[in-house]
Amino acid sequence: MLSIALIGYAGFAALCLAMDKHFSDLLGRKPKPGQLRGLRLAGWLLLLVSLVLSVHQRGWAHGLVEWITVLMAGVTVWVFGLPYQPRLLLGLAAISLVLGPLLAVFAR
Amino acid sequence: MKEGFRQAMAWLHTWTGLIFGWLLFAIFLSGTLSYFKDEITHWSQPEVRSHALDPLASLGLAQRYLETNAGHSASWMIRLPSEREAALNVGWRDPEGGRRGFVRKSLDAQSGQPVEARDSRGGDFFYRFHFELQMPYPWGRWLSTFCAFIMLLGLVTGIITHKKIFKEFFTFRPGKGQRSWLDGHNAIGVLVLPFHLMISYSSLVLFMYMVMPAGILASYGGSTNGYFNDLFGRDEVPKVANVASPLVPFESLYAKVQEQVPGARMGFIQVQNPGDRNARVTFTQSSADNVAYKRSASWTFDGATGALLTQGAPESAAMMTSFSFAGLHMGNYAGPWLRWLYFAFGVAGTAVIGTGLVMWLGKRQLKHAKCERIPGELRLVEVLNIASMSGLLLAVAAFFWANRLLPVGLAGRANWEINSFFLLWALSLVHAVLRPGRRAWGEQLGLGALAFTLLPLLNALTTGQGLNHSVAAGDWAMAGFDLTALGTGVFLAWAASKMLRAPKPVAKRAPRAAKATAETVEVNGC
Repeated sequence: MLSIALIGYAGFAALCLAMDKHFSDLLGRKPKPGQLRGLRLAGWLLLLVSLVLSVHQRGWAHGLVEWITVLMAGVTVWVFGLPYQPRLLLGLAAISLVLGPLLAVFAR
Repeated sequence: MKEGFRQAMAWLHTWTGLIFGWLLFAIFLSGTLSYFKDEITHWSQPEVRSHALDPLASLGLAQRYLETNAGHSASWMIRLPSEREAALNVGWRDPEGGRRGFVRKSLDAQSGQPVEARDSRGGDFFYRFHFELQMPYPWGRWLSTFCAFIMLLGLVTGIITHKKIFKEFFTFRPGKGQRSWLDGHNAIGVLVLPFHLMISYSSLVLFMYMVMPAGILASYGGSTNGYFNDLFGRDEVPKVANVASPLVPFESLYAKVQEQVPGARMGFIQVQNPGDRNARVTFTQSSADNVAYKRSASWTFDGATGALLTQGAPESAAMMTSFSFAGLHMGNYAGPWLRWLYFAFGVAGTAVIGTGLVMWLGKRQLKHAKCERIPGELRLVEVLNIASMSGLLLAVAAFFWANRLLPVGLAGRANWEINSFFLLWALSLVHAVLRPGRRAWGEQLGLGALAFTLLPLLNALTTGQGLNHSVAAGDWAMAGFDLTALGTGVFLAWAASKMLRAPKPVAKRAPRAAKATAETVEVNGC
């Protein structure tokens, strides 16, 4: 389940960065054309991947419930942590992007 | 036209939120605690020791105990120990004794001997309060169901009122007074919305037989008993044959259930007419095994021959839907990490209500910032805010302190724990009336911080099962309780220090400004 939480968290981070205001605030520069679109696409894709993984691993009943649960937890951490520890959370998102899929593949 | 609609919804959100907010806060907080009902009960009765689980051995112990002590009774109940509940609980119908003609005993899961645990309602108190509000039946249920409806209404009107729900989806700006409160209120509301919607909608589903009884009344003619018998698929119990016949060992029946559903955990076991030729033994699978409640997951055996007679009737799609909502609401299926998230989201729901109440007042107080005294109706809201939030936390702490400090032999001990809860809640109201707003907040939160941080110490001193013991013994229900109390205490201390520190410069200047412009103030209508 940790892998799903991490992938979902990275997905929401990407969706957040896909917003002009958050992108410039967090990364300190203006987005290049197409970057926001790419981030939005990546974000939704990551959410979808985590959903598929969750249902695949845990079945529909538990999979759906646990997917929503870890997603809510992840995005809440992101939003309320952002004003205090933006760099830490961005780093965590980057790590999740790598660690999430790795865990999904190897820690079965 | 559209703006008019949104304003109407904002009005509804504001006022229903205020009127029902205080009660909703208590319902949400007690409901959140109920996710750890068994763990709280375990903490409240430290005499019951937890052992490694062994369902077969426990079942044998329970059967032997009941055969020796309740042979005369027409019906028995056994609840096996689980990961969350340490005790082996047995009960039997006895018109002569017990509360409401039902005797309950907690047995030690290893020795099978009854444990003389202190008389306490434990987690069950918060669980019952959550939907009965300590009111006589059925008024508490009605009121809490109505509150659930208001919560659902608050969520829907809140979504309509929230203009920038997507634009500010990821926005939280701390340290900006009212702005931050609104951000926080919106963010917790929106980000955890699936949970909030599930919780308030499912409470209506849970009590739908009360809220919308027309269908039931039309089909079952005024009695809901027939409806429930059909719903839960209860079988008719055969009459006593008055022919003595020993019960088969329950272990053999347990093995038969395991053949059908390998690895199934048993919730409770019911025995009708024990020792008679017409004995019936019903095993029901633990609700921890499935998200939805499942009536099909029960097996009835002939107690004299050990033959499997019936299995629970399968569920229809509509039934499965409503059972799923019930299961989701109560979260019995949740393992440790999911249970903690349930708890966290419960706290989030409580926080949405709390921040809403604080904002209602803060917004209106701003208008009177120049006045020395705030108008009576605002003062009333302030007092109720304090008593319903920090006062309730103090009341919860009082319940736990009473649990450890009241003498074990005291008559009506469990009731005195509850009395201490309400007594402290009432005292907090008096305190809030007597002290100015910010001081009252600070003092109550400070006292709460003290009460919760010292709780683990009190536990260690009075029972010898403090953190040093429970962590070493791997008793995580006990340790988790103590650690959570510690965490709550630290959080309350932080909140109290914010309240007790000198208020922000804006508020500080207010009294002087008020004196200087006393005349204009009066014109302003303060």
